[in-house]
Amino acid sequence: MSIAPAELSQADIEQDLWVDRPWITLVWNDPVNLMSYVTYVFQTYFGYSLEKAERLMLDVHQKGRAVVSNGPREKMERDTEAMQGYGLWATLQRDD
Amino acid sequence: MARAFRRKGDRFVARLDDDERGVVMWLLEQARELLAPEPREPTGDPFDDLVARMGLPRLKEEGDLADEVPAPRDPALERLLPSAHREDPALAEEFRRLTEHGLRERKAGNLATAISALMAPEGDKVRLDQNQAQAMVVALTDARLLLGERLGLRTDEDSDALQDRLEAASEEDPQLYLAACYDFLTWLQESLIQALMGR
Repeated sequence: MSIAPAELSQADIEQDLWVDRPWITLVWNDPVNLMSYVTYVFQTYFGYSLEKAERLMLDVHQKGRAVVSNGPREKMERDTEAMQGYGLWATLQRDD
Repeated sequence: MARAFRRKGDRFVARLDDDERGVVMWLLEQARELLAPEPREPTGDPFDDLVARMGLPRLKEEGDLADEVPAPRDPALERLLPSAHREDPALAEEFRRLTEHGLRERKAGNLATAISALMAPEGDKVRLDQNQAQAMVVALTDARLLLGERLGLRTDEDSDALQDRLEAASEEDPQLYLAACYDFLTWLQESLIQALMGR
């Protein structure tokens, strides 16, 4: 037996998403880091599949940057610090 | 003749002779010295010391002008610890204040782990366990970022041009030795990444 969830309007959901996911972590292309290493870091730290890690790595390499994670600001600060710990060129900003 | 890292059971093994290990240790040590956080001199004031350990700036006193003029930073440090906000200097400064000391401590500790591992070879073999291999692959990154900055690598084209420089091997090139070091670390790191990824 289950209880039907209270109805949420699309606007409510979007509002929740805005509150919960307003920040992003970016990794930028640089001439030193190896493509294999960038893939390795995305897999190791974020737990992304090889396929997803390679796709993000190629975005960094070809488009100059990629959004590697999104979420609350505190989480993005931790991700940015971790990426910088690995030697990747990471920044964070509000997703707007 | 050096042999790149390969996975052997649960170990990562490379063959590096004394000279090759010496060069790698020297390059890692350069990065460690640059990154090791400057010791925070106790001020004698318990509150100021506590604030300093929390990464907060000391409260300014009247006539305290020293803090107004920051010492110029080594550009390699800017690359190793880049600004975390591109469009908001105040947020970038806050992030740096909260994270830089810890990042520098962890990077320096990681480089020290990698250097120790190179100091204890079995004959010419460097054998790393999983933790040492993970420390080494990051340590090699920091050493390459430092060398890359010294070699003026700013774009992918600069990296490509480095290969031409190595092939030309001109005695006139004052940075030829550094370029060769960079190339050697790149080769060593690539092999360790492949071994870590189980390829």
